[in-house]
Amino acid sequence: MLNKVEEIRKSALQACGQAGSVRELEEARVRFLGKKGELTLLLRSTGQLPAEERPRFGKLVNQLRDELETAWEQREQQLFLEEEERRLAAEALDVTLPGRPAVRGGVHPITRIIEETKAIFMNMSYEIVEGPEVELDYYNFEALNIPPDHPARDMQDTFFFNEQLLLRSQTSPVQIRVMENRQPPLRILAPGKVYRADSDITHSPMFHQIEGLVVDRGITFADLKGTLQLFARRMFGPDTKIRLRPSYFPFTEPSAEVDVSCIMCAGKGCRVCKDSGWLEILGSGMVDPRVLQGVGYDPREVSGFAFGMGVERIAMLKYGVNDIRLFFENDVRFLKQLGRQGGLVC
Amino acid sequence: MLVSYRWLQDYVDIPWEPEELAERLTMAGLEVEGITPLAPALDRVYVGLVTDARQHPRADNLKVCSVDLGDLGVYTIVCGAPNVREGQKVAAALEGAVLPGGVEIKSTEIRGVQSEGMICSQAELGISDDHSGIWVLPEHLAPGQLLVEAVGLDDVILDVSVYANRPDCMSVIGIAREIAALTGGELRLPSLDYQELDTPITERTSVIVEDKERCPRYTAALLDGVRIGESPLWMQLRLWAAGMRPINNVVDITNYVMLETGQPLHAFDYHKLAEGRLVIRTARQGEEIVTLDGERRTLGSDMLVICDAHTPKCVAGIMGGEDSEVTDQTETILLESANFSPVNIRRTSRALGLSSESSSRFEKGIDPNGAILASKRALHLLQTLAGARIYSGHIDIDASSQKDTVVELELSEVERLLGVPVPRAAVCRILRSLEFGVEELSQELLRVTVPSYRGDVELAADLVEEVVRIWGLENLPSTLPPDRASSGGQSEQLAMIGRVREALVGAGLQEALSYSFGRPDSNRRLRRGEEFMLRLQNPISEDLAVMRISLLPGLLEAVSLNASRQQTRVALFEVGAVYLGEPPLAEQPTEELRLGVALWGRRNDPNWALGDEEFDFYDLKGILEMLLPWSELEWSKGQDPSFHPGRQMSLNYQGQEVGVFGEIHPQVLRSYKIPGRVYAAELRIAEVLPLFKKIPEFRALPRFPAVDRDLAVVVDADQPVGEMLEALEDLAGELLQEVAVFDVYAGKPIPEGRKSVAFAFRFQGERTLTDEEINAIMDRCREGLRQRFGAELR
Repeated sequence: MLNKVEEIRKSALQACGQAGSVRELEEARVRFLGKKGELTLLLRSTGQLPAEERPRFGKLVNQLRDELETAWEQREQQLFLEEEERRLAAEALDVTLPGRPAVRGGVHPITRIIEETKAIFMNMSYEIVEGPEVELDYYNFEALNIPPDHPARDMQDTFFFNEQLLLRSQTSPVQIRVMENRQPPLRILAPGKVYRADSDITHSPMFHQIEGLVVDRGITFADLKGTLQLFARRMFGPDTKIRLRPSYFPFTEPSAEVDVSCIMCAGKGCRVCKDSGWLEILGSGMVDPRVLQGVGYDPREVSGFAFGMGVERIAMLKYGVNDIRLFFENDVRFLKQLGRQGGLVC
Repeated sequence: MLVSYRWLQDYVDIPWEPEELAERLTMAGLEVEGITPLAPALDRVYVGLVTDARQHPRADNLKVCSVDLGDLGVYTIVCGAPNVREGQKVAAALEGAVLPGGVEIKSTEIRGVQSEGMICSQAELGISDDHSGIWVLPEHLAPGQLLVEAVGLDDVILDVSVYANRPDCMSVIGIAREIAALTGGELRLPSLDYQELDTPITERTSVIVEDKERCPRYTAALLDGVRIGESPLWMQLRLWAAGMRPINNVVDITNYVMLETGQPLHAFDYHKLAEGRLVIRTARQGEEIVTLDGERRTLGSDMLVICDAHTPKCVAGIMGGEDSEVTDQTETILLESANFSPVNIRRTSRALGLSSESSSRFEKGIDPNGAILASKRALHLLQTLAGARIYSGHIDIDASSQKDTVVELELSEVERLLGVPVPRAAVCRILRSLEFGVEELSQELLRVTVPSYRGDVELAADLVEEVVRIWGLENLPSTLPPDRASSGGQSEQLAMIGRVREALVGAGLQEALSYSFGRPDSNRRLRRGEEFMLRLQNPISEDLAVMRISLLPGLLEAVSLNASRQQTRVALFEVGAVYLGEPPLAEQPTEELRLGVALWGRRNDPNWALGDEEFDFYDLKGILEMLLPWSELEWSKGQDPSFHPGRQMSLNYQGQEVGVFGEIHPQVLRSYKIPGRVYAAELRIAEVLPLFKKIPEFRALPRFPAVDRDLAVVVDADQPVGEMLEALEDLAGELLQEVAVFDVYAGKPIPEGRKSVAFAFRFQGERTLTDEEINAIMDRCREGLRQRFGAELR
């Protein structure tokens, strides 16, 4: 009987070691350890032994069962891992295939510039305001110190509906509307559509401007310079320089054009800046005392600065777009190019 | 304004090269937009004396010239110009010279005669467009000199952009004055000296100004014995440089003095004036004049004209008439130097579609005090260069109320506006250098008298501008205003519009921006009735003539463009205003904010993992369900004529329509030349935005297991499933967590005219649910669907 135990042990361990798959291993387990397995049958034959040998024999068989079960467990684990390895090898994907798209569109490049600019100025406590696009002559011109027949009206080919109603040619009327209704201190930014009767690769009959206005006691030209310096650095990069050039606007005095160091060549001179190293991006100045007086402010008490910029111009410079009309054609290839970076909008 | 660097040097010493001068002027508010050489380099082009010009032996039209180039020797040059003569001084280009346009001069044989160079016309040298013959140079030039040096072509032209408020800088002297202020140097004014006859002008002519509003000042001078001829070369070159064409000495002098002083002048042929006198009046309605450009022009009753005893001879300040112009026969000249109302000049110029160097100055408003000075300057030149004999005195009818503008300037005001103090000495020096009179009333207070040509300066702020632009804006510090304003930020509506954009971008849509104006027939193209649209008086084209009242045309045009450019997927949205007005447009229209969406073509860009299905109605509806607070809205079957009658839905809130969406009507698509189908929506987004603010309600998450059940029924094919869903939500009661439609099917074995709809239910409650209670609910649902919708169990 003891030989029999050793015999079963040998053949079981051999069968266990030779099983090539989880299924074969299970078949072998049933053969040796199953209800009708060889070991079970052996245990049942205990009765045939003399009574004094039975405990020892029983112990031996149980030891063998433990040994075999451990062997089976180990072999099963080994086979499982081997099989998994084969399965994984067989499952290899072409990871170079394009992914299943998570579709995402993009905002219009003009919206991007407006939102970027709004964010910069909202961080400086500016309030975003809006005004009507179909304006009264009074707000678009007269209140801005541009009476009828003023030559400055020629600078802007304005669209008219009738004597009094027009499409605003600038966002500046928003300044007047805000000042008429509120008292200083004021710190506002007014983005929006404006219109001029002009169309070629650098002029569109509809375009966007962003107007800023600060009025308070003690606001200075130096404050304007500092504010625009900060804006330019945040908009175009930390190394951007600005330059103020005296200019003329009917509603500011003194007035200045503001240039930024060329964003293409960092001021060294290139085709975009026509070798000047500078790009003109906005007009600005101290609010003319006549304008302040016109809205009922006392120009001896308060002063203010205003600035205005063309959004398309900034977008053209920033993205290198060479024809302003592309912004309003809505060619999806154009919109996709400039609509976003990575997954982030703006 | 184009101005010669050398001409400026006549009036002021310039310590800077042209490039630096340009930079300095730009930084002082006179932007120099370009610097160009007056002439090309023109190496190896010399002054030559034609010592002999004989007929070419083998060509009738050619002459063989001997050209003496002084120390360089004598050259033989074959010349085809009709005007070449013995004894002329000419511009001779020798072998190796490169003329503008890249023409390289070589020594070549021309019909058997070796030609060692070329005698040039002005056009060939790039100086003017005159190619009628060779350029005959002044006699005093020495042969053998480099042409460029001999005639002063080594000059550069600055293109100065003058702002509308600085007409005084529309002149060489005006710009020279600015340079003097920048250098601290002296301004040298040109000579005004001339001899007068004993006879006073008033014995020979008279001037009547009938309209002193439109003509605040009129001065006239009379001269005779004028010898008409060419003006001197230096003057011609300066006129060319300024973009004007030399005509004859008299006309050239009037133009030259206008460029020099900014005061336009006009010369009449005195003998062509009826009764030899002038009347300045407004034109009679319909009166005509043929202007110097040969055009016959019909005048209006508000246009100012200069007349003789009978008829208009000049459109005041804009252009003279042909029949009183100075010609080769002219001997006696009446010289006008006047001042006209800028408004009148501007209106007349626009009405006639006629502008000139003169009108561009008058319409900006020039100084009436400059009239006599400019006239005297012209008389000096006319006497010196054309031998004029000048009657004594001027006729001067001066109704201009020229009072000195005096402005008091507190020095603290300079600091208050600039944010930095400018020393009193610097303020005074700058203002005086610009010829302002400065009286120092106290340490703190200046009394400043403004020169008459600086009409733009009226207030202290204007003086501060003068100070800072010469002092230098680069000297300003950069500071930030003290933050006393409110906390800033943007309105809730603006912030929400931003989030609407982001949501739509997340759904795969591109933002579009269309023009706010479009075609007048947009309504008809949309199959809609006549609606009022604001019409521009002066559109740039008929396609952009009326303000939009819907976002759909812009989006459909965008789809059409993309379809024609071989795009396969177009998914766009636009947020923008429409303009809703009422005739007769006495008030501003309502600008209503709208959201538009358009889908066309394939649902996906080509991708191996995705199909190539086209967009359909439910793509659009899915986007709107994602975006909108759907449960707050009511819907009804839409009746918009722009949409497919069976594929549209109208969205309502509190009984008001807030939007419509669906498939665009094929007739509309045909008028936009769009193939396939377009799914579009237009929403009054501002009306919907408040609904987004509803605060979501928390329901405790159930801790007990859910029970899922399905139900499939057969109903009439045209039965709206939405109604069934709403009914089921009622019928299923409290325990229903959600019910979804997971299948809709028509076709065999479902009978014709019917469809099968399958719903998936999930029940869950605060206890373990029993089969019995769920069965009871499902029975209730089945029975409810049967009664209300004729639903049979599938």
